[in-house]
Amino acid sequence: MPDLPQRKVGIVACSGEELSEGTVSRLAALKVLEELRPADTVTICLPLFLAGGEGDRAFARFYPTITLDGCALRCAARGTEQYSGKPAVSLVVNELCAAAGLEQPAGRRQLDAAGQRAVDLTAERTVQAVDELLGKSWSRRSGEFLESLAADPGLPVLGDNPAASSAAAAQTAPAPVAEVATCACGSGIPVQTVEVAGEQVTLVALPLIFAQQYADGKRPQNLEPGALLELVRIYNPLPAEAEAAYRQSIAAAYAVYCASQEADG
Amino acid sequence: MSAATTVVIVPCSGIGKTYGTVSREAAYELVEELRPQDTRLVALARLVLGDAAALDEIASHPAITIDGCKLACATKMVGECGGQVAQSVDVLDAYRRHRSLKPQGIAVLNENGLALARTMAEELAVVVDAQNTASQQEVQHA
Repeated sequence: MPDLPQRKVGIVACSGEELSEGTVSRLAALKVLEELRPADTVTICLPLFLAGGEGDRAFARFYPTITLDGCALRCAARGTEQYSGKPAVSLVVNELCAAAGLEQPAGRRQLDAAGQRAVDLTAERTVQAVDELLGKSWSRRSGEFLESLAADPGLPVLGDNPAASSAAAAQTAPAPVAEVATCACGSGIPVQTVEVAGEQVTLVALPLIFAQQYADGKRPQNLEPGALLELVRIYNPLPAEAEAAYRQSIAAAYAVYCASQEADG
Repeated sequence: MSAATTVVIVPCSGIGKTYGTVSREAAYELVEELRPQDTRLVALARLVLGDAAALDEIASHPAITIDGCKLACATKMVGECGGQVAQSVDVLDAYRRHRSLKPQGIAVLNENGLALARTMAEELAVVVDAQNTASQQEVQHA
């Protein structure tokens, strides 16, 4: 099975280098990511929402996201909402410290003892939020929680929907280009570029969709028409007037993918 | 710009890999130890948000960007915010030039990582000094 990050929570820290609280946000995020909930969390660095690509900007739609900010500017929460999606939970270090009666941290380069306590507190609250979020259903179509999985047949439970593809189209399809946007925080949602009506179009999560379909035994000859397109639409805005071209290109790319998988044995 | 030019230092914000940590450590070494009077740290997150004070600092002073990877978020952001990048450096390039200093660690850097950051900071201090010299010459010629 592909490593679909459906059951993970995103963590975005402000990492504000100017303030001790920014250092707390960064170290607390690291503690959650590396020690406390390594299997359940992923991260991205905030600037990639602007400096990166579509795969990066899809982050907060793909994962219910917790933002960790150092101060009231709330750069991580506001930036995430502005460029990616509304955070599910927003935590602010200096507010957490004040509410818990902790001293404000000092030492942006090397935290003092109060800073270390603030890291522990922030990580603990983040873990609580992670655990709560993992118990809820998340729709990547809307970037919101759902009351129940069954309420939305369009949920990104990849593989539920049979899909169609055109084997004939595969014969004329250009080889797809798979990419993974990565950064110094080591994150990124897989994207793939396909040619649609003569234009190069980058589609978020396409490699994951293909891998899931293939793992579920779906092949070009047994997919229902339009289903691949519906899965792709969950993560990507598709212009209505170009649906037929998208359907054909995606089906062709999937046929190429299947052929390459089978060749690899 | 005045004769005593402040240079804005913008490091990478990456939190999950060693090179991001080196970029930040180099920035702190430069700003806190080597050229505290001539430099000022600006957090990348404030530029992402379009914080007015941060944008003003970027617009008013030359910037040195220190990136953790080839995506070059710091350099791109300063450019997109209308800033003047006096020098952009990349930790990976610095490591290639100083192969004996292999950095390791994320939350806490190893000795080689600290040494690489220190070396980068020393190199960037020269750039800061050059900015100041150029600024002083401009004032004298004015």
